[in-house]
Amino acid sequence: MRRFGLPQLLMLAPAQLLLVAFIAIPSVYVFWLSFTESSYGKEAVFVGLANYAGIWEDDAFWRALRNTLLVINVIVYGELLLSLALAAVFVQGIPFRGLVLAIILMPYAISEVVAVVMWKYMLDPNIGSIARALAALGLPDFAWATNPTHGLVLVCIISIWLHLPFTFIIVYAAMLAVPKELYEAAKIDGANGWQRFRHITVPGILGAVLVALIFRYILSFRLFSEVWLLTAGGPARQTEVLAVYLYKQAFTYANFGMGAATGWIMVVISGLVAAVYVVLLQRKGFRRDA
Amino acid sequence: MRERWPQRLLRALVVLLVVAWSGGPVALIVLSSFKPTPEIFSFPPSVVFEPTLEHYRTLVEKWPDFFATLANSAIIAVLATLLTVAASVLAGYVYSRYRGTAIAASALFMVAIRLLPPIVIILPLFPATSLLGVNDTYAVLVMLYATFFVSIGSMVLKTYIDGIPTELDEAARIDGAGELQILLRLIMPLAAPGMVAAAVFVFVYSWNEYLFAFVFTTTEAKTAPIVISEMMGSLTGVDWGLLFAAATTQLVPVTLFVIALQRFLVAGLTAGSVKG
Repeated sequence: MRRFGLPQLLMLAPAQLLLVAFIAIPSVYVFWLSFTESSYGKEAVFVGLANYAGIWEDDAFWRALRNTLLVINVIVYGELLLSLALAAVFVQGIPFRGLVLAIILMPYAISEVVAVVMWKYMLDPNIGSIARALAALGLPDFAWATNPTHGLVLVCIISIWLHLPFTFIIVYAAMLAVPKELYEAAKIDGANGWQRFRHITVPGILGAVLVALIFRYILSFRLFSEVWLLTAGGPARQTEVLAVYLYKQAFTYANFGMGAATGWIMVVISGLVAAVYVVLLQRKGFRRDA
Repeated sequence: MRERWPQRLLRALVVLLVVAWSGGPVALIVLSSFKPTPEIFSFPPSVVFEPTLEHYRTLVEKWPDFFATLANSAIIAVLATLLTVAASVLAGYVYSRYRGTAIAASALFMVAIRLLPPIVIILPLFPATSLLGVNDTYAVLVMLYATFFVSIGSMVLKTYIDGIPTELDEAARIDGAGELQILLRLIMPLAAPGMVAAAVFVFVYSWNEYLFAFVFTTTEAKTAPIVISEMMGSLTGVDWGLLFAAATTQLVPVTLFVIALQRFLVAGLTAGSVKG
């Protein structure tokens, strides 16, 4: 390995400059903003922790936090379970593998807006084919526009649909990388399917699964578009998630300080989630390498 | 060992289900965009129908803006991709080949700053871009998209460049090649698959992104997803056929792009997880 000099620092500069200019400096400014009261065309006035106190007492915030935590756990673990099950089937070999993989990857290319169009159409109570099929089966209406629980369920469905390719590819690749000889040896030793999965597959893919989990936790925590386009947080702010709460505080209610404070709460929660997983990852990583 | 038929049947069933789940909604939208309006509302959905271009005609006649925003999306996505890949290959090379406190600190900063939810920075950036008069320009979106993918891009490129033996650089150095020559003539050709993988990530994101485009554009730099969301939110009732025609026009190019480059996408995703 070589020692670096000025040319190397210059090579790092473009990437670093983007991150500093568009993330680091703005986020420091947001931190300052979170201790002030400000709005369109008004000077920021220092108010201490008033914004944080205001959020603490705001029921809408707690509901948004609860919704966010519920939804991201359903999304992340739903994706993971589906990916594990699918990958376990796929590693045994499937017909038309290339074609099937291409189709599974398709949602990766679809924008959130178009995904919302698709699911809104399929679940429209009057014209949607899924909605009418459910009705034909005599099931109760899936009233995502008026029932907050149903609305959040639909957000989870759309999100899982969009991001399954990401999680699946990582899990599937990790499963393919587990040496075949281990399974052969275990078979000779008389291990059954479940035992082989539990003692060979699981330890073999754990590192990759944790990485996928961290990524998906951090990314799904940002959930905005699906909720915004589907329900805009309604009815009566019942389906808001943190990003939607932040957006409304800042731009609908023109309360930049509260928006900024929400932003920093989001930063801290993301950081904590990531820290927990990084610790887990390192521990498991070392054990696997040992 | 030969499998029994129930196992094979079960496997085929799982494959069919996942194909229907992932591909079904896309196929439904694309097919419906060619259906005459009454057929869009038929239940069960018609599979055989007289294809029509009426919705595409409406799109061209009533929403000429849509094609301008599609062009905006393309320009912004291409520029953001070029910027991201260029910045990432430079950084990835340094992270792969050099050591030192400053390098380690820079790499840590890159990974850590990625944690920040993008929505947090729109608060200060919105007034700042208005002040600088760069609101509603390509530049804002290009920079923002590049910013949010330069970390993952650099890490993917580092993984790929790690796979190129350092003996090759050393040999080139002995032959008198400078840093820039090594990067251009040796590293970049060999790390090309990684560059393509990074390009796919950022291109797909930029083409489809909603939040930043929603906040930072109004007319000039508006992107296609924003127009589609406006069509969906129409107060006078949704024209589903038109919406499907617009959605199909927006999704077909990027879907073909992803399928054509899926090899690189899969390799890039695994480079970021299994090895990293």
